[in-house]
Amino acid sequence: MSIQVELTYDMSKALGQRSFELETAATVREVVAQTAARFAEGDDFDKLVRCTAVAVNGVLVNYRKGLKTKLVDGDLVGFVKSSAGG
Amino acid sequence: MIKGYAGRVLEIDLATQTFSFQPLDEEIARLYIGGKGYGTRLLYDRTEAGIDPLGPENPLIFATGPLNGSVAPQSNRFAVVCKSPLTGGIGNATCGGNYAYGMKRAGIDIIVVSHQSEHPIRIEVNGDRDEVEFIDATDLWGKGTYETQEILGKKKAHAVIGPAGENRVLYAGIVSNERIAGRTGVGAVMGSKRLKAISVTGTRKLEMDDPEAFKTYTKEIREMFKEHPVMGSSLKRFGTAGIVNTTNARGMLPTKNFQKGHFDDAMTISGEYMEDHELVGVKSSCLHCPVTCGRDVEVEGKGRVKGPEYETVALMGSNLLIGDLKKVSEWNFLADDLGMDTISLGATLSFAMELQERGMFDAGVKFGESEGVSELIRDIGHRRGVGDDLANGSKKMSEKIGGHDFAMHVKGLELSAYDPRGSFAQGVEYATTNRGGCHVQGASMYLESVGPLTINPQNLKLKADIPVLMQNTACAINSMVLCIFTTYAMFPAAIHDMDPKSLTHRMMSKAFENSGPVMRMAMGMKGKPMLWFEKWLTYITGQTFSSGHLQEIGARIFNLERMYNLREGLTSKDDTLPPRILNESIYETMDSGHPLGELLPRYYKLRGWNADGVPTAKTLDRLQIRI
Ligand code: SF4
Repeated sequence: MSIQVELTYDMSKALGQRSFELETAATVREVVAQTAARFAEGDDFDKLVRCTAVAVNGVLVNYRKGLKTKLVDGDLVGFVKSSAGG
Repeated sequence: MIKGYAGRVLEIDLATQTFSFQPLDEEIARLYIGGKGYGTRLLYDRTEAGIDPLGPENPLIFATGPLNGSVAPQSNRFAVVCKSPLTGGIGNATCGGNYAYGMKRAGIDIIVVSHQSEHPIRIEVNGDRDEVEFIDATDLWGKGTYETQEILGKKKAHAVIGPAGENRVLYAGIVSNERIAGRTGVGAVMGSKRLKAISVTGTRKLEMDDPEAFKTYTKEIREMFKEHPVMGSSLKRFGTAGIVNTTNARGMLPTKNFQKGHFDDAMTISGEYMEDHELVGVKSSCLHCPVTCGRDVEVEGKGRVKGPEYETVALMGSNLLIGDLKKVSEWNFLADDLGMDTISLGATLSFAMELQERGMFDAGVKFGESEGVSELIRDIGHRRGVGDDLANGSKKMSEKIGGHDFAMHVKGLELSAYDPRGSFAQGVEYATTNRGGCHVQGASMYLESVGPLTINPQNLKLKADIPVLMQNTACAINSMVLCIFTTYAMFPAAIHDMDPKSLTHRMMSKAFENSGPVMRMAMGMKGKPMLWFEKWLTYITGQTFSSGHLQEIGARIFNLERMYNLREGLTSKDDTLPPRILNESIYETMDSGHPLGELLPRYYKLRGWNADGVPTAKTLDRLQIRI
């Protein structure tokens, strides 16, 4: 199994990488937990992730099963901040 | 005269090199405010159906509104209105910079430029002395927008075209400072008149109904903007390109001519990356705007220049499979200097790249390769070689070469950088917006997909309702004339501070999704002014503007534009989306593309149109639209 995880810009700056691969993660909750584990304590993961939604293959998990959303091989999980552009 | 207006329309005839100052029509001002609304009314009344957009009968209308000339944040924008050479329907675009302020200081609300000059010409207006000079511009013809403005100097405010306008590139724009009235080819119309520049100056003051209330309240709003998460933080820090990583994670960042909605290298074209790696300053702001969403970057050989906005980094970055911000910045500078809309340019380039990939046309450029792109942009601006084909935009190119299914436009106007398969309401907005596939004629995607409190963008709930309300609001805002980004402050900081993963947030989003009737009723209520732009209008003009008033005026403008389009032969068959968007899915949660067919009947009903998309007599009567 391979799950690709993409971070927000702030998260990627703290971690020093934009994305990484997880070998196993059955749900979005597991991805969040495994992502948190990669951050050092001083990075303040909770703050970085607080106003961040999560999308699986572009669809917010809020419109699926939330953090319980199940994952399959090849899924792309992205952390997303709200934003305004033009 | 109603307060907030200069009370004068400057009529310029290029064929006879004559001019006159006429009184502003107060009735039109009351019904349509100014800006785009006033301009559309004039265009409708003064032209016959079927005129050649690049012929002498097409007037070029520069229009300000009652907020222009004040120091209200985001209020230095003017509208340009004419028949669009790109779509054959209503053409309009708004622009920041300092020109709107200059027009009002010259004591002019509207400038109507009629007919054509036989040789390159420029115009200088001194509003204090009521003088208009017609000056030969042969020496400026062929020069870029930057050099032209430098030569014209800083004492006046200028609206100029570059070589793209001169050569009638169908998506050429009009430039003021570093800003551009980019969309629908208004620069080509200016070029067809051989008008290189209009410069205005004057020292007249804007008269307000209640200047004290305006001053105190504006101070308050400036403070609010400073603290606001969008106005004072994200837009200020990262510019509009700060949204790249969001649209990418939501699968709606145009990638490879909209074949995909996710770009692996999105991070390196994002606003955050720009701030960390490319930014050399933040000077580019429209006059009096504290948001300063403009960025400055370094371009080799050009020095410090305006950096690319979101639309540009998406349509000339991810959409071409280019993750190199330096390259995008260079192309952005080139396009600005030639005077071209980077949205239509980017989407036409990606169309050419896909034609190349399919062996249908060779413009010498390929997805993922920057080689040849700069040269091609220059060739487009000068209509040289294959650039001549690309200068006509993707619709006309597809009619000549083929590729209709992947020509990414609506009514001939290329789509902006929000893939509507990830934002159904935005898709309805693209399909129905009178000027074509544009996002700033409503910006439904903010409420639906990318803002702090979104709804499921892939079901049918509210997806016809949001565009109606947002298009009406945008029509009113573009008539004041205010920057459309002002709507981003509608969500208070407290909403931005909520965790979208929380149950409360999800419940609020659900409630929002089911709020259609309440939202329509609330926004339609004619009461006291509540929002900042309603209050500004009220303090300046002395008339009352609440949400209900603005919804009504916005609907009036929108329906008049619709009547104009119908008169020009654009019908419900043109209320559509590119076949790629309708038929191809980019999300595993969707079997097909955008469900436009299921949403249009409700949209027409909400608008008060018949099944053929024609405003009924009752609707026209209710909105006091004289046809
Ligand atoms: S927000 Fe940006 S585009 Fe809008 S008025 Fe301010 S500087 Fe200009």
